[in-house]
Amino acid sequence: MNSVAPVKAPAEGTLRGIATFLATFGIGVATYITIADSGGGSPVCIAGGHGCQTVAESSYSHLLGVNVAVFGMVGYVVLLACALLRGDLARMTGFLASLVGFGYSVYLTYLELFKIEAICQWCVASAVLMTLLFAANATRMLAYVGKEP
Amino acid sequence: MNDRRERLIKLASAAVFLTIVAVAVLIVSQSGSSGGDSENIVSVAEVERELQGIPQDGMVLGQPSARVKLLEFADLQCPVCKGYSEEVLPQVIENQVRSGEARLDYRPFTIIDADSIPAAEAAIAAGKQERGWNYVEIFYRNQGEEGSGYVSDEFLTAIARAAKVPDLARWNSDRKSASVKAEVEEATAEAEHLGFEGTPSFAVQGPDTRGLEALGLLESAGAIEEAISAAH
Repeated sequence: MNSVAPVKAPAEGTLRGIATFLATFGIGVATYITIADSGGGSPVCIAGGHGCQTVAESSYSHLLGVNVAVFGMVGYVVLLACALLRGDLARMTGFLASLVGFGYSVYLTYLELFKIEAICQWCVASAVLMTLLFAANATRMLAYVGKEP
Repeated sequence: MNDRRERLIKLASAAVFLTIVAVAVLIVSQSGSSGGDSENIVSVAEVERELQGIPQDGMVLGQPSARVKLLEFADLQCPVCKGYSEEVLPQVIENQVRSGEARLDYRPFTIIDADSIPAAEAAIAAGKQERGWNYVEIFYRNQGEEGSGYVSDEFLTAIARAAKVPDLARWNSDRKSASVKAEVEEATAEAEHLGFEGTPSFAVQGPDTRGLEALGLLESAGAIEEAISAAH
């Protein structure tokens, strides 16, 4: 019988470093969207076009009267804290927070493509960051949960 | 330590399963909605861009000096009119209305069912505050299934808000007024007088026409542009 050599996970410190970088970037993106919205405007698409304005002005951009970017900002702050902390609580909270963020990003991307019919590059940036954060946190959790910090 | 690791990984697996179910439920619930939803008014910015900078007077869109007037007789509940609003008229608005060659006059022709009347009255009332075309265009982009009962006060008000009608209280009293009711009835009677039987139907008036000429259904933006050019 052939045996497959197990893939060695990166060191936990490396994964935490990656997550720290991504979460910090995410806080920046979510903060920009929140500030642009609070001024009564919308984020400006650097690549041009009106996608960001269309998405920002759609009713899907707010949840219970609050801009979804505010929830994103809170999520990234939690993820940054988890990346900076050691131990199982940080590993599990980081995994669960990034899982929820990733799931919600999938839903928001579906809305952009099929309901709003416009793409906002800031939302795409956030979705990519959340996907990478999920990958980093899932790897950290699977490789290191239940082990010594 | 291994037991604890096993328990935590089981917990994570359950969370992954629940997240997949939650996202699937959210997507399925959204894909089932087919317009007519006052909670989710879409394409507001798109309409704003389409009409930005073009004067509106009542239900007339375009420069007052435009020599040709194109009348569109339409029903807000009509799916074909929605198709015209989204696919055909933007080209005419951009090329001939914005340039000052023609004016577009929206006339309600309420033929689908009783719900077409309050919808038309709401649009005419928005026109009294120079937001009539925004109202019509946003309505079409959020149109529900024909005759499904989606034309509620709540839906009409959500469209008025999205169309940025400045004085909602005035809009609300105007749309229920006898004069607006009469305006809708007169437009429908005019369409019948012109011999129209379906929506949208067009009529044109210009220096080269003998009064108002009934054109009926024009198949494309090109056909509408030709009719405007011929009326010069």
